[in-house]
Amino acid sequence: MQYLTLGLGSIEQGLIYAILALGVFVSLRVLDIPDLTVDGSFVTGAAVSVMFTQLQEPLGGGILFPVLSLIMAFLAGAITGIITGLLHTRLKVPALLAGILTMTGLYSINLIIMGDKPTVSINGMNNIFTPFMDMVGSDAVSRKLAIIPVILVVLLITTLALVWFLRTQKGMALRATGDNEEMVKASSINADNMKVLGLAVANGIVALSGAVLAQDQNFADAKSGVGTVVVGIASIIIGETIFGKRSIINNIVSAILGAIVYRIFISIVLQLGLPASYFKLLSALIVVIAICVQVTGEKIARKKVRRANKKC
Amino acid sequence: MLTLENIYLTFNPNTANEKVALNGVSLQLEKGDFVTVIGSNGAGKSTMLNAVAGTYMTDSGKISLDGEDITNMPNHKRAKHMGRLFQDPLKGTAPNMTIEENLALSYGRGTRRGFGIGVRKSDEKFYKETLSRLGLGLEDRLKTKVGLLSGGQRQALTLLMATIVTPKLLLLDEHTAALDPVTAKKVMDLTNSIVAENNITTLMVTHNISDALNTGNKTILMSGGKIVLVLEGEERKNMTVEKLMKLYSDTANDAFSDKMIL
Ligand SMILES: Nc1ncnc2c1ncn2[C@@H]1O[C@H](COP(=O)(O)OP(=O)(O)O)[C@@H](O)[C@H]1O
Ligand SMILES: [Mg+2]
Repeated sequence: MQYLTLGLGSIEQGLIYAILALGVFVSLRVLDIPDLTVDGSFVTGAAVSVMFTQLQEPLGGGILFPVLSLIMAFLAGAITGIITGLLHTRLKVPALLAGILTMTGLYSINLIIMGDKPTVSINGMNNIFTPFMDMVGSDAVSRKLAIIPVILVVLLITTLALVWFLRTQKGMALRATGDNEEMVKASSINADNMKVLGLAVANGIVALSGAVLAQDQNFADAKSGVGTVVVGIASIIIGETIFGKRSIINNIVSAILGAIVYRIFISIVLQLGLPASYFKLLSALIVVIAICVQVTGEKIARKKVRRANKKC
Repeated sequence: MLTLENIYLTFNPNTANEKVALNGVSLQLEKGDFVTVIGSNGAGKSTMLNAVAGTYMTDSGKISLDGEDITNMPNHKRAKHMGRLFQDPLKGTAPNMTIEENLALSYGRGTRRGFGIGVRKSDEKFYKETLSRLGLGLEDRLKTKVGLLSGGQRQALTLLMATIVTPKLLLLDEHTAALDPVTAKKVMDLTNSIVAENNITTLMVTHNISDALNTGNKTILMSGGKIVLVLEGEERKNMTVEKLMKLYSDTANDAFSDKMIL
């Protein structure tokens, strides 16, 4: 029973971080920009979500505000991405630094959104899961079984919207910008605007995952953002290593599955007795190891090609 | 059609690495002109094309296309009217996207990219027809990632992309120099037929003197950031590869001895 709860718990977390992975995928893989805004925009999403959810206290409205809060979080995240994008493209600040600047500024902004409190709780209020929780028993397993489908729906909508977007003319221009910027300019596309758009979409999705996590945990924590981007990158790289990266759809599915595998792995390691304080170190190490595996894999593949070429 | 008036362009001004790359270039292309450009390394040929395309902004002078002053227009806007190929076949295509996606991107040149589907089913037939004229079998590989193609295939594809929406001006910068002789000839033949068919005004840099004389209707020789010779009409008809080679190496030596004096 305990293991079932734990297993369901890591799937629940994995699905939330799968949304994060989709956002990081857009900046890291589609645009080819390692965007550190994520550590801030993730919390922005959580902060906006809890503050908006709190509006039900004076106004009522059932789960209207919790659901709307997800959209608000997406929009707020998109704005943070636009700020990084403008710093990068208009002021020519290197992408890494632009992300760091926005992330640092967001630390204050997030506190301001949360009314200068380090944590804000929405315990006891309606959240996006409430109607489904009411349908099941109050034991841990039933609760998880009510929560997981809701997260799945958010993840599914995000995935479908992203796949659709990346196949539109705009989305195609976005992918090309990360692939060959010169070629994009030669096709009379403003590559700078594409970068801003891409960072907006990326951080919108990141903020959405922060919002879903806040709904799940019933609170937002201003300090919870540290290392979020590493979690996103870890999910993507693990996914690519295990599930491949042959096409855009394959890439997206890999990122989602990678996030879930990562969560399961983390919970196993913690279960084996590793103190929780090692958690961030572990995340960073996983990224390093996954990159090692990827690099070695590519080397072996290249050697194979070379050998095959020699035979011809 | 295309007019360059007294263009100056200096790299790294006021530093030890200061380099005057264009030193008063004036050039006039009429509609349908196919001008070949020769000159030794560092003569400023690529810089001239970059100035026309808007990759670099000029220090002074005026560039106009079809009567419109484009001197200060950013390069992605100029790209509406210009197709461009570089020496490096990797530069013109997006390697992780498919052949049809690359074609669709360039087919949208000059239009606003909206939320319509990127690769329309209805355009697929057109892409196949267009690709089949390359004779490379690419029409059966629409869904193949461009990164898997050879350099020659990519350059041929880039040529199609640059002309799929007929540009007012085609800029070619040694676009066959990195290809093997057979492929280079194929791409050159294709260039000639596409340019002739659509009567595209073209500016082509080449290191192949006989290509320079045998293609197009005008040849210019650049040296030290200047156009030092314009060949057209009778004079060009009577020019031989040997004579032009001699002129070419004289200017190259001049530029070389100038450097020695400095
Ligand atoms: N981006 C750049 N920065 C500094 N110098 C450059 C740059 N591009 C070209 N140059 C210099 O300008 C001169 C002309 O170069 P270029 O136009 O590339 O010559 P080419 O005729 O061989 O194409 C050369 O001396 C070159 O070193
Ligand atoms: Mg050159």
